[in-house]
Amino acid sequence: MNFKKLSKLTRARYLSSLMSLMIMFCSVGIIFVNGFNWGLDFTGGVVTEVKLDSNIKAAQISELLALHSDQDVSVISAGEAGRWVLRYSQVNAESSTSITDVLAPLTHNLEVLNSSIVGPQIGQELAEQGGLALLVAMLCILGYLSFRFEWRLASGALLALFHDVAFVLAFFALTQMEFNLTVLAAVLAILGYSLNDSIIIADRIRELLTSKPKMAIEAVCSRAVQATFSRTMVTSGTTLITVSALWIMGGGPLESFSIAMFLGILIGTFSSISIGTCLPELLKVNSEHYKVEPICDAP
Amino acid sequence: MRENKKTTILNHYSAWKYVLLLVTIIIMLFSALPTFYGEDAAVQIGAKAGLKVDSLALHHLLESQGVNVKRIDQAKGETLIVLDDNSQQAQLKTMLSEQVADPSELTLTLAPDAPNWLLSLGFSPIKLGLDLRGGVQFLLDVEIEPVYKLHYDALVESVRQFIREQSLYGAKVQQRSSGKVNISVSDPNQRQALRQFVKQQYPNWRVTNAGDSALNVDLLASEKINIRDLIVKQNLQIMRSRIEQLGITEAVVQRQGEHRIRIELPGVQDPAAAKSVIGATASLAFYQVMQPGSVNAKVLIDELKAPVYVARKPVLGGEHIIDARASLGEMGLPEVVIHLDRDGGKIMSNFSRDNIGKPMATSYSEYSRDNKGQIRQTTEVISVATVQSQLSDRFSITGAGDYASAQQLALLLRAGSMTAPVTIVEERTIGPSLGEENITNGFSALALGMAFTLLFMGLWYRRLGWIANIALVANMVLLFGLLALIPGAVLTLPGIAGLVLTVGMAVDTNVLIFERIKDKLKEGKSFAHAIDRGFDSALSTIIDANFTTMITAIVLYSIGNGPIQGFALTLGLGLLTSMFTGIFASRALVNWVYGRDFSRDVKV
Repeated sequence: MNFKKLSKLTRARYLSSLMSLMIMFCSVGIIFVNGFNWGLDFTGGVVTEVKLDSNIKAAQISELLALHSDQDVSVISAGEAGRWVLRYSQVNAESSTSITDVLAPLTHNLEVLNSSIVGPQIGQELAEQGGLALLVAMLCILGYLSFRFEWRLASGALLALFHDVAFVLAFFALTQMEFNLTVLAAVLAILGYSLNDSIIIADRIRELLTSKPKMAIEAVCSRAVQATFSRTMVTSGTTLITVSALWIMGGGPLESFSIAMFLGILIGTFSSISIGTCLPELLKVNSEHYKVEPICDAP
Repeated sequence: MRENKKTTILNHYSAWKYVLLLVTIIIMLFSALPTFYGEDAAVQIGAKAGLKVDSLALHHLLESQGVNVKRIDQAKGETLIVLDDNSQQAQLKTMLSEQVADPSELTLTLAPDAPNWLLSLGFSPIKLGLDLRGGVQFLLDVEIEPVYKLHYDALVESVRQFIREQSLYGAKVQQRSSGKVNISVSDPNQRQALRQFVKQQYPNWRVTNAGDSALNVDLLASEKINIRDLIVKQNLQIMRSRIEQLGITEAVVQRQGEHRIRIELPGVQDPAAAKSVIGATASLAFYQVMQPGSVNAKVLIDELKAPVYVARKPVLGGEHIIDARASLGEMGLPEVVIHLDRDGGKIMSNFSRDNIGKPMATSYSEYSRDNKGQIRQTTEVISVATVQSQLSDRFSITGAGDYASAQQLALLLRAGSMTAPVTIVEERTIGPSLGEENITNGFSALALGMAFTLLFMGLWYRRLGWIANIALVANMVLLFGLLALIPGAVLTLPGIAGLVLTVGMAVDTNVLIFERIKDKLKEGKSFAHAIDRGFDSALSTIIDANFTTMITAIVLYSIGNGPIQGFALTLGLGLLTSMFTGIFASRALVNWVYGRDFSRDVKV
């Protein structure tokens, strides 16, 4: 084994771990500062998607809507010309006049593509349920990992997991893209997929530790990363390809889902190599009083 | 494909495994096929509908009005009209209602497009969720608090009566806002008597001491759950019977969570009509009319907003109503004939006997939710009638308005007693064109993702890659077959996203194995030995890696709802099928093709 090449890889791992830590802190910061643009599923409200003549402007629609409702209505273009998403913040039982009547002065050629009315208490319940789902999934995974791997290896996978979820959430906080139920499903799916890579590397580390007990720990980790690298690239590659297909062809309703998955898989691959291997290494080094000080100095 | 050489055990699967594999894939292929033919919207005319024209004339008539009919099937008196354009379903039903004697015999349905021999084998297409088919979905909230309040009121009333009968002066009963009933009584003997009374008469209540001179009485938690379950079940029943009247064969009425009911009406495009049937919660009560200004009275208003003084407690509530029908009375006025149960009949009989010549008010309450989400009850006196004679368990009330509103009132009352108000808390409408757009988008994404993955795997792993590709195609066949076979499995738009993800991830199993085989080849093993060791050593990694995703799929399925459950379903099933095809099917293929290849200079 070429030592020079190995140490290069090890150094790269440590550097990328530092980067991951920075990403993680920034992500948590962004989430707290910006907050989310919660979708209808969580806030409650009314969303209607309509299709009308493509020459009608947003201002014309808002003007008419303002006449019929005393609350702010946001009119958002839905990608295609003539397709609009109208979003009211409150469910108003009184003003249940149909949108077709309200927009009648503009056009009679109006098609309601979909409409959702969600009561405020449902939204809150869904948000609580979503949080619960995240928590339960994390706990179950923690249980499985600590059963299957010893805790130092498991902690690396878990930190990587937290890192990935934080990153994807931070992206949604930063861009203020709508955070709805499908995005939450994507985040939960990322939980599963992010672990996928980490576990496969952890599996190799475990295998190498038992077969070559005298090997230095950072060499073991680097070797495991190296051995699984082409698999990681192929699987991440095919998954990214299919998610991109979903992004390109899936249309509006699946757009944010595909973006979340895309980012999740990308960052999941990165983190499984960086902090996924470095944290167990750090813990291992400390616990067995190795003299070699790791460069990666996590707080 | 039978293996005849039995000289070595290495890379050998016995014949029965191949048979099992083949049979599984063939069955799943048949199961998956009807989905590819798709389904068409249709309207079914029941045998009792009394169709006025024959099918040929009907076809002519519909074509002339711009409805594109694919075919008209007639069997056993029933007629099925299958449409070319799914968005014309509602239009067709309206048009047909003029051609039949009884429009309630018309039902919206779906007709599979697959050939008959396939359908007669018992295979059916995958059920599509509302986001793919178009339709209306409601989430109803059953408010249990008013029901509890009735129970508390009954207890308070009964304790009060006991205090009067036993002359327990000084004892006072009141209901606290926290739900508890508080009985303040200073005398220890009286307290004991009261405690005894409640314990005997109300075994489902718990009596506790509140300080030295009072008792607290509260419903047991288990009894509260019991009441809630009964109420929700009753409402489910009511909703099912109401939905039946809308004539939609594939409507779903399901309990969701503790006190919610989810209703899915595929094919419905106008939520307003469905809402008026589902959403209105009505209850009827009969009151004794009191003198205006009477102290023991409460004030209700009638249609003209004039006050009507009635007794605090109704003589009879809606829960005793068994049946209600609209009809035209002797004077030609619309009326609602009400049929009461035994108890109700007795109460009404006693009351009317004692009150001949006195007025009786019928109140109609409707529950709705205002914009702050608060339950609002509007009660209106719909009739004040003088009791002419002793009433039995069958009598009629008038004053509900015209015949149509009498019919509407009867419909609502017939559904049974509605002591728990039900309100719509969520409403989603998906237009049929959007549904079709979602299907097209979803499946073209699936096709594109699949094409890229197949191409990539074929180029990257060359010969082994084609095995992975065959496994991937088999995986999709199994997945579609399973989705069609599993009862209650519904494909939604996020579900299609789950399928696309599965395509990307399914190759992982093969990739893991192939990488191990590569490693073994590098160590200098022959191809056949490398295959054997590669499959074995990758197995535990594969299971570990899939297990965590399985956990999230299960959590998502149990906590999520609707479309999200669809995602969790395809994700979870996809993991199972990909393990089956990735480990078992591809091993069978590899054994068959390369199992005897002992050369050492193979490039993978």
